[in-house]
Amino acid sequence: MMLIPCPHCGPRAQSEFIYERTVDSVVPLDAPSQEAMTKLFTRNNPRGVDDEIWRHTYGCRAWMILTRHRVTNEISGCRAIGPEALL
Amino acid sequence: MTEVTITTPPAAPLHVFEIWGNPAAVAKRFKAAMGFALPATGQSGGSDALRLIRFEPTVWLVEGDISALGDVLAEDGALTATSGGIVRMRLSGAGWRTLLMEGGVFDAESPTFAAGCSAATIIDHVNVRLHVVSDDACDAYVPLSFSAGLLHFWKEAALSL
Amino acid sequence: MINFSFDGKAYTAQEGDTLAAALLRNGIGLVGRSFKYHRPRGIMTAGVEEPNALVTVGEGGRAEPNTRATDVFVYEGLVAKSQNRWPNLSFDVGAVLGLAAPALSAGFYYKTFFGSAKKWMFYEYFIRKAAGLGNAPTQADPDRFSHRAAFCDVLIVGAGPAGLQAALDAAEAGKRVILVEQDNILGASLIRDPQELDAAWIEVTAARIRAAGGRILPRTTASGYWEHDLVTLTQRLSEPGQVPANSVAQRLWHVRAGQVILATGSIERPMAFAHNDRPGVMLSQAVRSYVQRFGVVPGKRVVIATNNDDAYKTAQTLKDAGAQIVAILDARPAPAGANSGHRVYNDAVPLLTKGARHCLKSVSALVDGKTMEWDADLLAVSGGFTPVVHLHMQAGGTLDWNEDAQAFIPASSRQNVTTIGRAAEPQAIFKMVPVSSPKKSFIDFQNDVTLADVDLAWAEGYRSVEHLKRYTTLGMATDQGKLSNMAALGRLAEKQGVAIPEAGLTTFRPPYTPVTMGLIAGAGAKDAGAHVRRLALYDLHAAKNPIWQPLGYWFRPRAYPNGGESLAQAAMREAKAVRNNVGMTDVSTLAKFEVSGPDAAAFLEIICATTVSKLAVGRGRYTFMLREDGFVFDDGTVWRLDENRYLLTSSTGGADRMATHISYVRQYLCPHLRVSAVNVQEHHAGLAIAGPKAKAVVDALIGTPAPRHMSTEPATIAGTPVLVLAASYSGERAFEIYVDANQAKAVWAACEAHVQAEGGCLYGLEAMEFLRIEKGHLVVGGEVDGRMTPHDLALDKMLNKAGGYIGASGLVRPALSEGGRRQLVGLEAIEGDIPEGSMLIPREGASPQGHVSAAAFRIIEGGSVALGQLVDGFSRHGEILIASSPTRGQKARVRVVAPHFYDPAGERYRD
Repeated sequence: MMLIPCPHCGPRAQSEFIYERTVDSVVPLDAPSQEAMTKLFTRNNPRGVDDEIWRHTYGCRAWMILTRHRVTNEISGCRAIGPEALL
Repeated sequence: MTEVTITTPPAAPLHVFEIWGNPAAVAKRFKAAMGFALPATGQSGGSDALRLIRFEPTVWLVEGDISALGDVLAEDGALTATSGGIVRMRLSGAGWRTLLMEGGVFDAESPTFAAGCSAATIIDHVNVRLHVVSDDACDAYVPLSFSAGLLHFWKEAALSL
Repeated sequence: MINFSFDGKAYTAQEGDTLAAALLRNGIGLVGRSFKYHRPRGIMTAGVEEPNALVTVGEGGRAEPNTRATDVFVYEGLVAKSQNRWPNLSFDVGAVLGLAAPALSAGFYYKTFFGSAKKWMFYEYFIRKAAGLGNAPTQADPDRFSHRAAFCDVLIVGAGPAGLQAALDAAEAGKRVILVEQDNILGASLIRDPQELDAAWIEVTAARIRAAGGRILPRTTASGYWEHDLVTLTQRLSEPGQVPANSVAQRLWHVRAGQVILATGSIERPMAFAHNDRPGVMLSQAVRSYVQRFGVVPGKRVVIATNNDDAYKTAQTLKDAGAQIVAILDARPAPAGANSGHRVYNDAVPLLTKGARHCLKSVSALVDGKTMEWDADLLAVSGGFTPVVHLHMQAGGTLDWNEDAQAFIPASSRQNVTTIGRAAEPQAIFKMVPVSSPKKSFIDFQNDVTLADVDLAWAEGYRSVEHLKRYTTLGMATDQGKLSNMAALGRLAEKQGVAIPEAGLTTFRPPYTPVTMGLIAGAGAKDAGAHVRRLALYDLHAAKNPIWQPLGYWFRPRAYPNGGESLAQAAMREAKAVRNNVGMTDVSTLAKFEVSGPDAAAFLEIICATTVSKLAVGRGRYTFMLREDGFVFDDGTVWRLDENRYLLTSSTGGADRMATHISYVRQYLCPHLRVSAVNVQEHHAGLAIAGPKAKAVVDALIGTPAPRHMSTEPATIAGTPVLVLAASYSGERAFEIYVDANQAKAVWAACEAHVQAEGGCLYGLEAMEFLRIEKGHLVVGGEVDGRMTPHDLALDKMLNKAGGYIGASGLVRPALSEGGRRQLVGLEAIEGDIPEGSMLIPREGASPQGHVSAAAFRIIEGGSVALGQLVDGFSRHGEILIASSPTRGQKARVRVVAPHFYDPAGERYRD
């Protein structure tokens, strides 16, 4: 179980979080069909570092982008995302 | 044996206070109207008459009278009633920190988790929000549906800390 | 003095004895039978690595099979039984398998499976009876198991001299410290070698650690090392089979450490020679432990075989205890051991042991090329030392080869872990090669693997250590190869003609020692910890003793049987009440979201595939949501409560998924919107009142005319503010009433009284299912199964023409609306009752063209009907098909019809 550095709560156990998807598979709301399907079904799946979207669902419920090495689980960054009103 | 008792104080009105814009302006209006600062993440503020506990970056749980808060929010946020969905339990006695480690993943034993601190976490698979009242007491805000099971679990666990 | 029993016979033990020590104290050398060949086995070690002395401890639900006798401390009344023997330990019929040993050599199972199935069936009967370990208890474990989290700056594993010192240093430097020790006392190697430090040092050090705030956990094993320095500890609060002092038998700790220090020591290696598994052959350090710690001298005439200096301490200890050292067989050339004062033979390697009545009788060795033999009742062997690197490797570490010790030692790690003490610096040994016959030269004692099996695997072409392991089952027993892996690796390297490090290593996996199932289950093993979800009105339902229906973590009333009614009878009575009169049900579990703010409608038109913004205040509509790929994933209703405030409902089962989806869209995709979306699923308890008399009931309850269909109004019932929504799932005139869950009981009671006054009754999920199937309403998880588009479900006319909703760009793909897709249909039985889940086939033997998603009986008219998915179903109304369920042996002839069996025009629920 990983320790995820939540930008709002500090390091917390992975079981408080839910993985969403990689950043490169986000489908923008206005994406044309072809682009949307490419985002959904064609993934990079690198053996190495990737940017992933996680949510601190059972903690502060905020979303974040985690930069994680997918072999070693080394987390090299975690930044908050969401509305501008985040204080 | 480490002592801890669990009580369920009477339900108080609870609201979700969420902002979507102009955080600085909201904070300023709040301070002016309420006389204390809008609490930071992981903190609470206020008194028994009106307490705001911040569990989320843009959301505060409000316990008590919200009549002044509508004007504070103005067009920058909304209040939503949530009393029915949450049961407040008070864990009292020196053993509350140890009890929270049962089935937990959050460091409730850390001395930095002191009076006025708040945290949301998971106990087994139940989402529990914590607010430290004092060295001897911590309030847990538990989903109504899980509250009976969690109370039973805590009472059993408290016998063998 | 402590009383215990072994195989039904009473014995006594001393305070602090392990079961192994107590058995040896009572002169019992034969403790078990081996896994495959049923060879007599005794006690070989004094630690958790014990491969032979496996016993079942405890009785009934507390019985713990395969417990190492070296890893259980005797308590008053302990009951232990030997395993894998019939009819008894000293006369075991299964031992004839040993005579058939060649038939059970390496790869036996693979070769047998490769043959005909018949052959395997024949063997299996005997093998299942003969091979194996202890039996799992059949009763429930009466004890509780706890899971607990802990955090520390430094976690130290192992309370030997190195571990104690490290813990003291860290604790006195002001760090949060946890020190764990699998034994029930501290000291580790100092217990067998007490002369190495001042006797009081252990106690003084422990006291200083505690005084500095450190936590010491004895009888606790660090069993797993996971990501980001999370270490799981298994703590015995009571011994196996023992009644725990305060009901908790064991605790599983999840420790998140800033730094981990492994002071896990080393495990002594046996030597490979013929009949090296005989009771009376023990590891040298174990012999020393029994003498020094327990005051038990396991033999009177002792031969010691060694390749290192450590065994000389055993010789001295035994001599001091009054035993006779017959010979020390030192593999090293002279002058090793020359000044020890014992009879030492250099260049001496054991060849063979002989025994009588399950005891050791003599030992032979090759000494400088000549065979010699000595009478002995104990052979103490020391084949070197294997550092305990399991946790280091689980943490993702690498190993270096230490030539002097002929051992792997921890090298780098990607986690914050260091290894100290003997685990990092094992004692030097002399490299020796087995010289005896490989047959009966055991290397994996627990799985009965010999050098001959390794040789056979090699001869049959197995080159990789991973293949060797699986083919021979070496290292795959409950001891996980703690004693065997290095011997096998040595043999493999020898065959390959390479150095040991080049032969490779198998993977170290948690747990380090076996963990009981109850401990893994934790509190969840008992009802106390299952944490199911209760309805706000649980007490009111429970008083009526309904049949409960689990739904995720929820439990909801499925039906409220009267007297001796069956589920089907009760549900049909309840459904008829709704059709003819009025019924009431609990709908509290529906997902509910309150969405407010100037951009609330815009936000909802992204979530929902229908229009929302056109709703007038006080009006609502049916809606559904799509995944990004265009498939339907949930449905519900949306209500405009105020200018900028909406209530969105969706399915119970999809509630958590919808909450995450809404949050993702709001926070990630639309951070700019001025909207607050709050999950109010549990805030509102909800009930539905449905039936021809529902409007009259609600009129009376709220004292004003009830809102018209798909309208909503705030109202007051029993002095409590409520929200009344006029919406129908049953097909009858119906209302949903929502109320703050804290005040729901009074509202429920008032509504129930009115419903009963009209001659109505409560209805549960089963009746609701009958009602909605007949009406052709969808259920998420049934008809909405993740593979259906809005077109397939005939929802496409409701799609928001302006687009902009999630899934719009996926839905435009031509294949999602072309022919050949499965489409929603109704099915009417012509003959037989339609089996739920059955496939739809045009004739016997044909390929399925669809399936039945939900089946029921028409409530008033009778007859079996169903909803289903059928290829091109919209254009096949009137066709006759077979609904066939071969698994249930049921089928029916069905006619394809429109999926509306009841009031297709929807006249009954409108005003």
